[in-house]
Amino acid sequence: MLSFLLAAAALAPANAPAAHGADTFTLKAAHLRLYGNKVVDGGVVKVEKGKVTYAGDAKGAGELGPDVIEHAGWASAGLVAARTWSGLGGEGLEPKRPFTAEARAADVVALGHADFARARAEGITTMVVALSPANVASGITTVVKTDGETTLARDGHLQLGLSSQALRTNRFPTSYTAAIELIEAELAKPTGVWERVSEGKLSVYLDALSRDEIQRAVALASEHKLTGALLRAPLAGELAGEIKKAGLAVVVGPFGPGEEARVLASVAALGRERVPVAFGLESPTSPEALLRVSAAMCVRAGLDPAQAWEGLTTTAASVAGVGARVGKLAAGCDADIVLWSGDPLQLTSKVEGVFIGGVQHESKGGAGHGGAH
Amino acid sequence: MRRTTRYALLPASWGAAGPGASALLAIPSLVAFGIAALPSLVLGDEPAATPKDLFIRAEQLHVRPGRVLERGMLWVHEGQIVAVGTDIKLPEGAVVIEGKVVCAGFIDSWSAFALEPNAQFDDRAGPATRAVDAVDSYVDVRHERALLAAGITSVRLQPTVGARAGGVGAVLRLHPSKSFAETTVIADACSATAIGVSRGDGRALDVFERVSAVDRVIGAIADGHAYLVETNEYRHELADWEKKIADKQKELDDGFKKAKKDREKAQTEAKDKGNEFKDKEYKEDKKPKAPRFDEEKEIYARIAAGELPLVVEVHRALELRALLAGTKRFDRLRLVVAGASEAAQCAELLAERRIPVIVWPVPMGVQRAPEYRGASLALAAELDHAGIEVLLGSGAMDPLASRDLPLLAALAVGHGLPRETALAALTTRPARVFDVADKLGTLELGRSADVLVLDGDPFAATTSVRYVLSAGELVVGEVKK
Repeated sequence: MLSFLLAAAALAPANAPAAHGADTFTLKAAHLRLYGNKVVDGGVVKVEKGKVTYAGDAKGAGELGPDVIEHAGWASAGLVAARTWSGLGGEGLEPKRPFTAEARAADVVALGHADFARARAEGITTMVVALSPANVASGITTVVKTDGETTLARDGHLQLGLSSQALRTNRFPTSYTAAIELIEAELAKPTGVWERVSEGKLSVYLDALSRDEIQRAVALASEHKLTGALLRAPLAGELAGEIKKAGLAVVVGPFGPGEEARVLASVAALGRERVPVAFGLESPTSPEALLRVSAAMCVRAGLDPAQAWEGLTTTAASVAGVGARVGKLAAGCDADIVLWSGDPLQLTSKVEGVFIGGVQHESKGGAGHGGAH
Repeated sequence: MRRTTRYALLPASWGAAGPGASALLAIPSLVAFGIAALPSLVLGDEPAATPKDLFIRAEQLHVRPGRVLERGMLWVHEGQIVAVGTDIKLPEGAVVIEGKVVCAGFIDSWSAFALEPNAQFDDRAGPATRAVDAVDSYVDVRHERALLAAGITSVRLQPTVGARAGGVGAVLRLHPSKSFAETTVIADACSATAIGVSRGDGRALDVFERVSAVDRVIGAIADGHAYLVETNEYRHELADWEKKIADKQKELDDGFKKAKKDREKAQTEAKDKGNEFKDKEYKEDKKPKAPRFDEEKEIYARIAAGELPLVVEVHRALELRALLAGTKRFDRLRLVVAGASEAAQCAELLAERRIPVIVWPVPMGVQRAPEYRGASLALAAELDHAGIEVLLGSGAMDPLASRDLPLLAALAVGHGLPRETALAALTTRPARVFDVADKLGTLELGRSADVLVLDGDPFAATTSVRYVLSAGELVVGEVKK
């Protein structure tokens, strides 16, 4: 039923770019999830030199060209994880110094790491590699693709830790007040990365856990007109109004079976208030498959399915600052396309093929290898 | 009532969940003083009472997996299913509810819901520890509602996850306003144990410990078997002895007059001769001695007799193979394997012995405990393909995980488990394995109704559960009378 008519690709060894190789082709899929709840039946995506030139119904597609791939299931844009520790091999952790604002995840991330191959097998094509939340200023995130080579943004966000995890009894600062004071001192006479943050050229990731930490993070962002997103913030939904006013997004998750109902309800509340919600991971600590599981759990808890899908794609891409290139199937975007056995929002569907920049990286036989679950 | 009282006493900061919660907070002192005459107030959050006659219409009615009625109808009268079909006349005064898919309530074969938190990981428990004694009757009702709203109407509970002895498991129905004593479907559904699971006491077991753990389980079954034999022998010996005594008694009773006369004669003779009279001495038969009572052996005797299924959580193929080899001689043993990360390697053996497997289809990632190294989301599908009866469970790691069982089942379906089989794995199969098939798992005539009314595919994230009946009562969704 879900036959995947890619004879050449099916024979290719798992994980190796398919014989198809060429980054120019046309994809015909029984169902195309363009963005949000927008689904086109009998859709066509035209790809030229790794870029999408057309995505929509068959009527508007014009001539299809010689290289046509037919997929009997669904196709969508590749998923975007708005937070992960993939490819860092533990280098994202700096346990001693509270301020490492100039530390760049881009300098330590290994693009060819198996972490990314596992993410790709789950349909994730773009990830924001973030740092440990154990520092007040943890450093600068980087936005990468899971193709093993592409960096979308060397500097993603300045990550600030406003949770209790950034405070220690054996090193300064030991209190929230001191941490905030130190951040404000940096922003008062900004140099280096702080300058770009205060000018609004670089957005921030504000890690916060408890309700008061979230409030403090929101106040800091409002006071200094910082743009960006809260990280984790499990009960952010209870402060959705304030977060919306501050113009922040929230990167939630990962959630696994048994997650507190109150936390899931909080995500649904963010959705109701139209606060942008994106899903994140803590891979390799958390399984990559939890990205879609988190979204599905939030949908069951009341999050609008369209918002959940956006949280896996479009919203996550804009939170990552790369919304113009990835996160949707539209002309001008990168040809990061995932083929699924069914609706990608449902956990009953499985990855059957992944293209990044128009190059095939996963095929039906290869998807799901490497213990990626 | 009791659990509702607890609900009212929860601190305000805890919850935004129930709309009735804040209203209830005003009255804890009344409740605490034992003024129980406020049911309408205290139970303000309860769903409306179930109508006497409920008529359920469905686009697809799953009477049981494999038997689906298109445009099916179900009539529930006073909590009992009294008619199932496609052409039932609407009973007078019945309340009609509708859904796309209607099926039996789901059973989580491997849950920790409602277990008192300390009981969940307490490895001091023995084989005779009972799950029903570890249930927290003050469990948060909102959690129970969350499970019901996800379609879970029953759970198999087992205290002490991963411990050497998991005790006697129970199957309970979920119902927010009934005590667990009322909703216990079976108090001794099975016994459970674990081999080579590091999560119980937090240490990874070395290979010698793991192999000796297999021996321990086999040894316990053998001891149980011996105890069973001994007990049976005693029972026969006792019966023989009692019969012998009764016969003797009868003999004495029948010959009473003659015996009396003989005695009197002997007494007179003795007196005449000046001798001392002595009563005839009877040598009493020795009463057979009962085997020393051992509560643990009692349980294992029931296991060896096939009266209680034994659920063994075991993951590595090495230990699983050793377990299968060692238990082969107990021909009445009803073994159930749980977890079974590497079971695909012994699939043939499991299929041949008709051993059901409870699969926990959860994403694990690379940093998993060593025993799960071979785990895969495709396990359920692989075992099913090999002809093994697969059940699905939420793994008992978190009390609320049962809520997410339909999504875990969806993952198993996504990795190749047929939908029909997944449905059976949540309904008929656990009901059969834990000996409650006459009460749970299907929508057949005469059952007390455990029914889900869904607005779509049971495994879709986007499906919502419209109504749930547990033990014939509406526990999710409201109807107009």
